[in-house]
Amino acid sequence: MIRLERATKEVRMKGVRKMIIDDVTVTFPRGKSIGLLGRNGAGKSTLLQIIAGTLELDRGRIIRQGKISWPLGFQGSFQGNLSGEQNVRFVARIYGVDTDELVAYVAEFAELGQFYHAPVRTYSSGMKARLAFGVSMGINFDYYLVDEITAVGDTNFKRKSQQTFKEKLSNSDVIMVSHSTGTLRDYCQTGIVLENGQMTYYDDINEAIAVHESNMKRH
Amino acid sequence: MASVSGRFINQGFQTRLTYLATHARVVSALVMREMSTRFGAKPGGYLWAFLDPVSHIVFLSVIFMAIAHLPPLGTSFPLFFATGYIGFQFYQALAGYLNSAVSGNKALLSYPSVAPIDTMAARYVLQLVTTTIVAIVVLGYIVFTVRHPVSIHLPPIMEAIAMASLLALGIGLANAVLFVMYPIYEKLYGIVTRPLFLVSGVFFLPDSLPPIARDIVLFNPLAHIVMQFRTGFYPQYRAAGYDGFYVWTVAACLVFLGLVLFTTSRGRLRDR
Repeated sequence: MIRLERATKEVRMKGVRKMIIDDVTVTFPRGKSIGLLGRNGAGKSTLLQIIAGTLELDRGRIIRQGKISWPLGFQGSFQGNLSGEQNVRFVARIYGVDTDELVAYVAEFAELGQFYHAPVRTYSSGMKARLAFGVSMGINFDYYLVDEITAVGDTNFKRKSQQTFKEKLSNSDVIMVSHSTGTLRDYCQTGIVLENGQMTYYDDINEAIAVHESNMKRH
Repeated sequence: MASVSGRFINQGFQTRLTYLATHARVVSALVMREMSTRFGAKPGGYLWAFLDPVSHIVFLSVIFMAIAHLPPLGTSFPLFFATGYIGFQFYQALAGYLNSAVSGNKALLSYPSVAPIDTMAARYVLQLVTTTIVAIVVLGYIVFTVRHPVSIHLPPIMEAIAMASLLALGIGLANAVLFVMYPIYEKLYGIVTRPLFLVSGVFFLPDSLPPIARDIVLFNPLAHIVMQFRTGFYPQYRAAGYDGFYVWTVAACLVFLGLVLFTTSRGRLRDR
């Protein structure tokens, strides 16, 4: 379970203030995957960072139970001078999972071949994405935070990653930000709409999508 | 009721233990990461850590042997400069490394379990161990090769190291924040602290300066640290003007201020 209690967060970007959430209390129940909807700039990614714990609330608190991933689809956390394998070791160590096991898992999953032992700065963006996805699939999180998942690799790799992710979701939940309503329907059962600093929870993702779409038409 | 509150206390204790375990895990992972990027990437690896002090000691010894007959203390130029330079390095190398601890690990801060303070802790541990190994090897070599036997007295050496590393920690904590917030300050800091080496008593003894110059130099806590470090190698050295209380006070204040600044701006450190 993840719960926000009277949570408030305001961000400043180049001097412009924007209220992301204003005194919000909401519970993300365990056992259901949630799609996060909102217009561009509403603060969906900021919210994911708050849930992950890399951003702090201005007021209120957040209660997290279970192991939460870093926002996936994000590739900036690899150290360019280290090899893919060394980066995987680092992640294994900070999350307290078996190092050799994760290294072996990612080696097989990401299909990087010899590049696995080369510095990450030599990787193409597709290779980085495969590495990132492999690492996150190799650790068993209770919640996967997904920021605009983009399919990577060739058709075979896409099929494989989708299949692996779906398997993961039998034991884990996902909190997902996506502009594609198809993807959201595919992965999520419930939804939250973020609008004007308020979050509204809907038991049914289709209802959340309908509300979001009518919000978009109003402006 | 009692059992209920007892369970809550237990839960809080467990949570705190989990926090501590996470921090310990992250710090050790960061130490390994820093080691492989700092030393592992270059050929020669760890030897680079020795090159800087050795070249300074050799350089200073050669120059001063040409001008002077005897060093200000004892008879060995290399020992005099090594005790000065390495004592100074316990501050300088650590502070320099800590200043960029957060900015150098920026990418890793996107992992929620990596806290900014962990990067400081990791670099503190790694640099302290590195300088200690360098000190043992370099000073050990010199001590065993000089003609006159050297009697080493550990307590003042260890006190000097403790003072130097705390001073560096305080400065590093503050700078990690200030460098990110005020890039202009980073430039100024670089310019202002460049002559630090010249006024810390590395290649002279503050006690042998004229009174006015001595009083000015002794405002610099590093001059005291170098004096105290040397006391451990030269039993006859009286270190006139050394004030341990002054250094400890400055170090404690800097660590306190650094921690306050660091803790209040940790959100900002992650943002960038």
